[in-house]
Amino acid sequence: MSRNSLFGPLDPAPDAGHADPPPRNGFFTDTSVCIGCKACEVACKEWNLLPADDAGSMDLLGLSYDNTGALGASSWRHVAFIEQPAPAAREPEFLGMPTSTLPGASPEHQRTELRWLMSSDVCKHCTHAACLDVCPTGSLFRTEFGTVVVQEDICNGCGYCVSACPYGVIDRREGDGRAWKCTLCYDRLKGDLQPACATACPTQSIQFGDLDELRERAARRVEDLHGAGVAEARLYGHDEDDGVGGDGAFFLLLDEPEVYGLPPDPVVTTRDLPAMWRRAALAGAAMAAATVAAFVRGRR
Amino acid sequence: MIAGTVTGYFLLGQNPAVGSAHGKAQRLGMANLDWLVVRDLFLVESATFWQDSPEIETGEIVPEECRTEVFFLPAASHVEKAGTFTQTQRLLQWREQAVEPEEDCRSELWFFYHLGRLVRERLAASTERRDRPVLDLVWDYPTHGETEEPSAEDVLREINGFQVADGSPLSSYTELRKDGSTAAGCWIYTGVYADGVNQAARRKPRGEQDQVASEWGWAWPANRRILYNRASADPEGRPWSERKRYVEWDEDQRRWVGPDVPDFEVDKPPSYRPSKGASGVEAIAGDDPFVMQGDGKAWLFAPVGLIDGPMPTHYEPAESPFRNRLHGQQANPTRKSYEGLNNVTNPSPPEERSEVFPHIFTTSRLTEHHTAGGMSRYVGYLAELQPEMFVEVSPQLAAEIGLEHLGWCHLVTSRSAVEGRVVVTDRLRPLRIDGRVVHQVWLPYHWGQGGLTSGDAANDLVGIALDPNVLIQESKVGTCDVRPGRRPRGPDLTAYVHDYRQRAGIAEGHEIPFVTAADEAGRS
Repeated sequence: MSRNSLFGPLDPAPDAGHADPPPRNGFFTDTSVCIGCKACEVACKEWNLLPADDAGSMDLLGLSYDNTGALGASSWRHVAFIEQPAPAAREPEFLGMPTSTLPGASPEHQRTELRWLMSSDVCKHCTHAACLDVCPTGSLFRTEFGTVVVQEDICNGCGYCVSACPYGVIDRREGDGRAWKCTLCYDRLKGDLQPACATACPTQSIQFGDLDELRERAARRVEDLHGAGVAEARLYGHDEDDGVGGDGAFFLLLDEPEVYGLPPDPVVTTRDLPAMWRRAALAGAAMAAATVAAFVRGRR
Repeated sequence: MIAGTVTGYFLLGQNPAVGSAHGKAQRLGMANLDWLVVRDLFLVESATFWQDSPEIETGEIVPEECRTEVFFLPAASHVEKAGTFTQTQRLLQWREQAVEPEEDCRSELWFFYHLGRLVRERLAASTERRDRPVLDLVWDYPTHGETEEPSAEDVLREINGFQVADGSPLSSYTELRKDGSTAAGCWIYTGVYADGVNQAARRKPRGEQDQVASEWGWAWPANRRILYNRASADPEGRPWSERKRYVEWDEDQRRWVGPDVPDFEVDKPPSYRPSKGASGVEAIAGDDPFVMQGDGKAWLFAPVGLIDGPMPTHYEPAESPFRNRLHGQQANPTRKSYEGLNNVTNPSPPEERSEVFPHIFTTSRLTEHHTAGGMSRYVGYLAELQPEMFVEVSPQLAAEIGLEHLGWCHLVTSRSAVEGRVVVTDRLRPLRIDGRVVHQVWLPYHWGQGGLTSGDAANDLVGIALDPNVLIQESKVGTCDVRPGRRPRGPDLTAYVHDYRQRAGIAEGHEIPFVTAADEAGRS
């Protein structure tokens, strides 16, 4: 086991034992062009034959136009609608002449209207995937594309992965008991097809490809947006030095991650396992030493 | 239909019980037919109104007594039949059949071909003069397969047109002759089957052709992608600018050239001037690009032909809480209405008691549902994304009348009352008009009693008022009351709405004034 197997930058497919794997695949979800059509949600369910009406999904949630609520065992893409109110309640005012600058492009042109943040969330396919690390059956595995896939015919429903995921992505399906999540369309990748959600996305908000290329593209997109005055544009999950060694599925956001319901500083829950084992071993050794010492002393 | 003058109705992929203005009037009309044929993918509300519409609850339709004989015929979906899609760009795109339709599902083409065939068989022995048009029709479409489906390509070929003598397809509508030697179903489509090839089925990738993409599908007329494209050149026939270069006059070739099909007589030079007394195409000068107008000029307004033209003005909607601030005439005096046939209109100024319906409602669509819901409320993956009828209100209105987020509310008009869950959002804002504040509410109109997700139909609130020229229903705005809680049910609903009518002074015999005079409020 290499030093980085639980933490830090790493190419996960060779680390998992794949000889000569293809480049690592992933998603770049550019939320600045998401129109909230939810075609990704429907295409994902169609292709992966997910149940439509799982527990509670026919409820009106009152979260703007989002009635999916969160990623789950039967929702592998989730489009969040975040309504941000106008900065301050104000009296009706003259709206001014049309300008060629984008709202918020300069301090004088701060956003004055309510806005929607729409974002299609998905499994992050972490470089260091805690779900995979804790799986006792081998149901979760690292593919040659560097993605993380759960096999429904092996999963025994123990649920360790559910509590291990730092993003709260993987979940057990009610009435089924097994754990389910995005496979990054492993079956489609095998057949040289793009994942269903990326294929259905009409605005290329969801981009699929080689992770290295996507990261370059994303960096350019952020530069472009900053140049156009969208100072709040930022990447999330692109950094190999973050707590999960970087995500295979990363995002361009227009506000803090917390606003989208994403953890600001996720850490792979198995990062500290070696240290914990070391401490446990130390504690065990100390106990043993103490016991031996007690007997030695007892002979006197 | 309510008056009994229309006795039969074909509904093909339409669901007026949910999707048309004044749902109750629509349903009562359908309940007064001899027969109704509904062809749809699912048993939509317009097919089941006689057994589960809101009027069953109120007792206005009794299934045992409803006289309409309803035939429901399951339709083949777009992947189960071949044909063309045409959109607002005028582009015809051919669609292949992917799978055979299941069980009794059939295409519209199948239905109308075999219906026509059976009608003609029944009439075969008739000597009635009135039956001659049906019997003299050419109705000889070859069919194929177990289901005896006619060939959609064959129909397209006939619409395109052909030489009667040898059946060879025409390539342009200019080849049509009035001496009977040619035949065509629709002149604007002539050319879609030029050279005997289905031009609508062309799918040359964009990388292999120019930006006009003339070889993707086929655009009517003449595969012309931009109409009046002679206007892309100046009066002398030169491009207005390099960036706008499109169709231009080539002096060497003595013809109009460019990436698109020129929308002009191809060899008429810019310098052409009609002789005195010229008519038709010959009267169009070489610098008059708008060839479909009699004078070849662009028109800012139509001087004749419009019922309420020629110049536009502002009218308030048929129902408004405010007086028209522009002039004394409140609403369009030439609008078409159907007062009396179950259709009443909420009072608007200068009429009194408009305050009985103090708020404004508007309806529109959600991304996840398709119009009256026949293709989405019955599909799990879509229904779960928008699972319930709701009403969006501003935080101010919610506070004023005591509405709770995700609680229930109902809207009342003089037609009906409709309930939905409350969604409070900053997206809805009170309006300040004429010195006072008025609240607007929004609701989607996709729901009805059928489907995987059901709810009240928003269009039940809407009255029937039509624009005079093309009879578009004014279904996007009206006045209403908004109350917390669910609406009354059964006969109580009828009484509840009747009470509102009484209070608004619009009970039996009420007539709305179409012409309103100038007064102090109405500036004139």
